[in-house]
Amino acid sequence: MSSHRLSPQPGEVIDRGRSFTFRWNASPFAAYDGDTIVSALAASGERVFSRSLKYHRRRGLLTGDFNDPNCMVTADGEPNVRAAHRLVRPGMSVSSQDTWPSLRFDVKAANQLVGRFLGPGFYYKTFMRPQRLWPAYDGVLARFAHGGHAPTAADGDRYDQRYVHPDVLVAGGGPAGMAAAIAAADAGARVLLVEEEHHLGGHLRWGESSDLESLRAAVDAAGIEVLTDAVVTGRYDGNWVSVLQRSAPGATPHFRERLVKARAKHLILAPGLLDRPYVVGGNDLPGVMLSTAVRRLVNLYAVRPGDRAVVLTANASGDAAVADLTRAGVEVARVLDARQGEDIARIRGRSGVRAVECSDGSVVDCDLVVTAVGWTTPLTLATVSGARAEFRPEAARFVPVGLPDDVSATGGIVGDGSLDELLDHATAVGREAARRAARSAVALAAGNPHARVAAAPESFAVDIPDLRPAEHPMLFLGRTDGIVDFSEDVSAKDLKSAVHEGYDSLELAKRYTTATMGPSQGKLEAVNSIAAVAAASGAGFAATGTTTGRPPYVPVSLGALAGRSHQLLRRSPLQAWHEANGATPLYAGSWIRPDHYGDAAAEVRAVRENVGIIDVTPLGKFDLRGPDVPDLLELLYVNKWRKLAVGSVRYGVMCAEDGVVLDDGVTGRLGPEHYLMTTTSSGADAAHDWMERWLQTERRDWQVHVTPVTANYASINVAGPRSRDLLSRLTDVDLTPDAFGYMRVRTGTVGGIADCVVWRIGFTGELSFEVHVPAGHGVLVWEALLAAGADLGVRPFGIEAQRILRLEKGHLIVGQDTDGLTQAYGAALDWAVKLDKPDFVGKPELLWQQIRDDHLRLVGLQPVDGAVVPPEASQIVEDGTRIVGRITSSRMSPTLDRAVCLGLVAPHLSTAGTTVTVRLPGGGSLQARVLPQLAHVDPEGVRLRA
Amino acid sequence: MPSLVDSSSLAKVLVRASPDLGDSMGVHFGLSTRDPSGALVVGYGYGEWLVLASPDSAGDVVHRFEGRPYDGLRSVIDVTHGYAVLRLTGTDAAELLSRLCPIDLSDDVTPTGAVFRSVVGGLSVGVIRDDEAGEPSYLLVVDRSYGQSLSDMLGDAGGEFALAYVRPPLPGM
Repeated sequence: MSSHRLSPQPGEVIDRGRSFTFRWNASPFAAYDGDTIVSALAASGERVFSRSLKYHRRRGLLTGDFNDPNCMVTADGEPNVRAAHRLVRPGMSVSSQDTWPSLRFDVKAANQLVGRFLGPGFYYKTFMRPQRLWPAYDGVLARFAHGGHAPTAADGDRYDQRYVHPDVLVAGGGPAGMAAAIAAADAGARVLLVEEEHHLGGHLRWGESSDLESLRAAVDAAGIEVLTDAVVTGRYDGNWVSVLQRSAPGATPHFRERLVKARAKHLILAPGLLDRPYVVGGNDLPGVMLSTAVRRLVNLYAVRPGDRAVVLTANASGDAAVADLTRAGVEVARVLDARQGEDIARIRGRSGVRAVECSDGSVVDCDLVVTAVGWTTPLTLATVSGARAEFRPEAARFVPVGLPDDVSATGGIVGDGSLDELLDHATAVGREAARRAARSAVALAAGNPHARVAAAPESFAVDIPDLRPAEHPMLFLGRTDGIVDFSEDVSAKDLKSAVHEGYDSLELAKRYTTATMGPSQGKLEAVNSIAAVAAASGAGFAATGTTTGRPPYVPVSLGALAGRSHQLLRRSPLQAWHEANGATPLYAGSWIRPDHYGDAAAEVRAVRENVGIIDVTPLGKFDLRGPDVPDLLELLYVNKWRKLAVGSVRYGVMCAEDGVVLDDGVTGRLGPEHYLMTTTSSGADAAHDWMERWLQTERRDWQVHVTPVTANYASINVAGPRSRDLLSRLTDVDLTPDAFGYMRVRTGTVGGIADCVVWRIGFTGELSFEVHVPAGHGVLVWEALLAAGADLGVRPFGIEAQRILRLEKGHLIVGQDTDGLTQAYGAALDWAVKLDKPDFVGKPELLWQQIRDDHLRLVGLQPVDGAVVPPEASQIVEDGTRIVGRITSSRMSPTLDRAVCLGLVAPHLSTAGTTVTVRLPGGGSLQARVLPQLAHVDPEGVRLRA
Repeated sequence: MPSLVDSSSLAKVLVRASPDLGDSMGVHFGLSTRDPSGALVVGYGYGEWLVLASPDSAGDVVHRFEGRPYDGLRSVIDVTHGYAVLRLTGTDAAELLSRLCPIDLSDDVTPTGAVFRSVVGGLSVGVIRDDEAGEPSYLLVVDRSYGQSLSDMLGDAGGEFALAYVRPPLPGM
């Protein structure tokens, strides 16, 4: 048995039948199932678990719970593990942090020798000059940064999430929390009970308690959902409450953490009280513990915390700690009763506690000092709920005042009393919470068409008994200087010094010294900081005020916030075919598309010489119906639409109110009041929002329905001089030029599938037809085209080939050849803008653009050396340095066997034949000539009108 | 043990009109009901109804609703191929869905017949509670292109509940 392990204790949580070993700083140690890392180490007599931030002083167990600032370690590669809370596992490898070469012999302890130069804010006064040495200073300071090392390997753990809607959420599973939860459940509420420790019970766990067993049994019987090792991290508007669940033993699949997002109708705060450290010289020596830490060690983990103790007590917890120590075989050498005016003057020791100087001048040898000097109320959740903190000097602690109607508090956060008084208060709070939750449910159901919530019977508020904090002596600062913030190594003297330097408010002193800004987030040090600043400034405790607590209440891992990682991909019905046939994927927005099938240049040649097919399913598609559709098109596009005949198609450009190009696409008229609009794939959602915005706000009287049908169709573009030959083999639509001219639309059967929409449009510069097939039949038609066109040389082509083809043809891509400032005239869309229309979105700005005529212009560009392809976004410069444009699109053309580009250039350079200079990213440059038109191939458009 | 069935082969017809058509349609926004033919008529949005019927009956459904007298603008559109529909059934169905959906799925708030649109794992999904033989059951309607993503997410969340993923689609609802 380990040297400090006691015989079985009533209420212990360790399982002596399951022992194992783990490693601490490479040495093996024994543990039982149920031990925390620190309890197992303490059972073996270990007392030092870390070194302090600045001075690297040895630090031992202080609070013995999650908030213990001296027990942060690295466990199995995970840094900053709270060793006084984390359960130890067989084979676990635990190591101290930020010590070198070891915890026992840490060279950084030399900082203590220069401690006078490391006072608060020292980094504002030192490491400033000479400035050229900042990189070196940065490197030195980085070595002293606390907090372990983040692992470099990807985190393969699962972080889960869950949404819950309890009627009542109880934060805190001590006796008050349990009683409130039981009462709420008995009153008919759905209750979620959240407890930060591994077990319910709070302070009732310390020693055998029949009350604890009956409360636990009642919780089970009431059907309350209980989350242990879970903590409420924040409360937001409308009782949106976040709960971090750190573990769920036996959960399948296993998750490291789960973020539970709760919308509670009522929140009950029952967090209990936090034992507060005493600020006195030597208070950070290993062997100085709070009374609750001692009670925890003895009762839960059967660990003897020391051999010879001095206890400073001012309350019942300290008194009980004395009894626990005595029972555990610890010699209690002296009990100093603060209620009788006794005190500790200083704690002596070097590597640990050696003796205590008492206020009466006597010196008592010991290896353990236990303090019980008062309670801190954990108020963060109350204050973020809207309450304010009110200091009660007679009780030496704060209480929350002014909680909103949907938040209550019970237990120590409200006041003190016997167990029966606490339970009576909690029971009343629970019943009242259930009553208010029922009232909320009825109110919420009022606007819900399908809710089935019976009207709550008329009821009166439950009478809540009075519960007040008990009187307690004010004990914050001792007679000698001690540590206030253990995490940040800030002493009372540091705070006093800050105030004397002029940082005389709590908020300033906090930021200057970093007190309360460490991992415990002020829980242990906020009140003592207030006391230190109050004493130094002379302002008084109440007048000094408090700092502002904000969520999260405890640190939350990024993994928990991120949750499950799902890549939300949009897939065409043909995607499986693409993958099976060697397509290289391209992620375009939320879509996955085939970039090419192995040889984009060959695909381009196939389209130019024979026929190719491409999956263009992601094209935005909208079904427009109603008598006012032409009005909508006239309003939102820069060109004219009223004369569009049934069966005809028109290309449209959509601009925003500032004239900037938003989107483009073709719209076909399928019937008298029926149109099918296409947009860019990436702009489809925005175009839909844009249309609905106008219809629902500015033109509410228009009779138009816009229905997205993007995914309703598998869209296949059949392009190339032999596209008519191919498609005619599969459709009953007359594709002859006279029957089906350019920019026309028909419906019919393709590949045996009815209700297909066939367009004669083109993006590649070749004769082409775009077929929209009901999506479920897309693969059938695709494969039919490939089979029917084998003798015609048909092959699939991907996005890369399409980009090359459209660039050769000079077709712009919105967002590629335009940007957030490109108005219509700048995009060479002069021909589309009809300023003689009465009105359309963007008209005033476009009119002004036309008058100013000072905009960049989109032009076709041909590098003089056709072998060099300038990278897209290369700058076009004048006089060596002045930027006058950029390359927007650029590729090697398989058709022309030379580079082809589009670019935006300054107006004085946009004349055909002008030579411009393109600055290459590597530093060189090339010359490029402006073409008379955007198209490099077939500028007259003969091929696509074949 | 919950089950997930791909019901995308269901005929789906979107009817759009003024909200006052609700009386004629038999249901308003947020609710669903079976019509005499057995089709599920869903109040899917403001002035929007989604009719789910047996596979290959879309033409009949379109014809039936186009034939009803109505004065205002009405669109009846066959969107059978535009949506994926997954049916999630079982006593743990709501608990599984709560891993992905923030809406209160309790019987009081969203009983059978309830309809809403919400975010499910980051996707915009229409959720129709349509209990089967007394067992909780949800029809999840999503843009077809996101069907695989939704299925994958449900499968991932369903690991905790031993979700049984039934392939291929079954006839009827």
